[in-house]
Amino acid sequence: MYEIIKKVKNMDYNLPEDVKYTASHEWVRIDGDIGTVGITSYAQHQLGDIVFIELPNIGLVFEKGSHVAEIESVKAVGDLLIPVSGEIIEVNKKLEESPEIVNSSPFGDGWILKIKINHSDELETLLSVKEYEKVIESEEH
Amino acid sequence: MDFIPHDDKTINEMLKELGLKELDDLFDDIPKDLLENQLNIPPGLSEPDLLDKLKKISRENKMYQSSFLGAGIYYHYIPSLVDFVISRSEFYTAYTPYQAEASQGFLQAIYEYQSIISRLTEMDVSNASMYDGSTALAEAAIMSTILTNKNIVIIMEGVHPEYIEVVKTYCWGQNIELRIVSQDDLMNNLSEEIASVMIQSPNFFGDIEDVAEISKNIKNSAPNCIIVQLMTDPTCLGVLKPPGLIDVDIFVAEGQSFGINPSFGGPGLGIFTTKQKFLRKIPGRLVGKTKELNGEREGFILTLQAREQHIRREKASSNICTNEALCALSALIYLLSLGSYGLREIATQNIQKTHYLKEKLALIPGYKILNTKPTYNEFLLKCPDIDKLIKECKINDLLPPLRISNYYPNMKNVLLVCVTETNSKDSLDKFLEIASKFKENIMGDS
Repeated sequence: MYEIIKKVKNMDYNLPEDVKYTASHEWVRIDGDIGTVGITSYAQHQLGDIVFIELPNIGLVFEKGSHVAEIESVKAVGDLLIPVSGEIIEVNKKLEESPEIVNSSPFGDGWILKIKINHSDELETLLSVKEYEKVIESEEH
Repeated sequence: MDFIPHDDKTINEMLKELGLKELDDLFDDIPKDLLENQLNIPPGLSEPDLLDKLKKISRENKMYQSSFLGAGIYYHYIPSLVDFVISRSEFYTAYTPYQAEASQGFLQAIYEYQSIISRLTEMDVSNASMYDGSTALAEAAIMSTILTNKNIVIIMEGVHPEYIEVVKTYCWGQNIELRIVSQDDLMNNLSEEIASVMIQSPNFFGDIEDVAEISKNIKNSAPNCIIVQLMTDPTCLGVLKPPGLIDVDIFVAEGQSFGINPSFGGPGLGIFTTKQKFLRKIPGRLVGKTKELNGEREGFILTLQAREQHIRREKASSNICTNEALCALSALIYLLSLGSYGLREIATQNIQKTHYLKEKLALIPGYKILNTKPTYNEFLLKCPDIDKLIKECKINDLLPPLRISNYYPNMKNVLLVCVTETNSKDSLDKFLEIASKFKENIMGDS
């Protein structure tokens, strides 16, 4: 058990600099007023093998922090909380057939949905890489 | 490890914290007269004396030569193979597998049960089973509200009245509104706000409903409404169209007819099946088949457990994390013993014997069959003198039919008669003979 914990601690999560993070392990990449949302490499590692993702319907509007999708792994279920308020404009259809892409490429092909951001001022509440690293550190202790 | 929950020290600490002197102070609210002389236990008996006493008690059970009682629990012939297999201690002493992968034998049995139920009903998925038909129906009601995000569930008249009580209990406190609706009022009650419509067929009164037609009409005006079909005696699947071939979304049944003794009305077996697209919301356990990592050997596992309450917690569609393993095994062995030909034969005999009695009864003056739709093995019989008929049945060693006014007080002098393959022709003729004794005397003499 000790060995496993040690391994996790030393893992490199390859957190990209060009996205914003949340303390609940989502990321959002901003492009104008469009935000692409996914879960972090740390979150996918914690969940384990992802087997199913329940995606929201396009056109629905969500408030920041509300539950938009469900991510199911072999042994757990996680909620995707939306990092900023907005309308769902696209979901990653590839995940219906191959949800494991979230494991292999959480920040790339494993993106989950795109939203049209309603309140750009909310972006300031999100975390930078440095801040998010601290979140992971505190959870691992 | 010994299990010692509290020692004197911790008990005293807790009492001190509560400001109490002794343990009995915790029960102060119970009236003293209820506590006194409560445990009137006689002195112990020797083993022979005890056996003697128990045998004497068991002789007070009245065993009838033939039964006309159904209404949810049915007498069917149970092949000897069923008891032989389920009496093996590997099965008999086991519970639903928790350290699942260590119980390959039982997991395989459940997997085979799921497969055979799925084939029989033509539904995509069967779970590992539930407590009984009524709780399976209640789980279906709750699942339908989760699938649709609506909170109104329509129960059609003709669903077993005790099942309705169980559904009410399960839905209590869950913000689910139940409406009991007659078939004539169904279309008026439909809207986009309805989560599901639950239909029993053959229903409590014996009628075989045209579920295909009803569900087609429902889907026309409320396309997202979940159609739930219930059966209390699924032996009729030997001849009736399986729910998977008509537009049924969730099919539940009481599986007691599949190799389980009627006993005193239980234990039952909750059969729960649904379509593939609802797989992730199905309550209860599911057993799957898999391969070892190197792909050499096959094995069985509990699968899709992330739906279950111990993982999904308050978001799970059900709090059941168990199944009715031994009864499911009985059903499996029963169905395997019969095969598809045997089940068709059972169903045919149920229909033929029931219709023999039904048609002959209709010819006796004063008796009337109230069903206007086709029936399987139960029907409603209006009688000239119900009390005398029931009494005479008992005298003649026949377990009498159900007096339906027990559930529907307005339906006086009506019996719910059940005939299965276990009723011999002699027993049917005996019943007819008794019925003739109390026929309506048109001429006015006695």
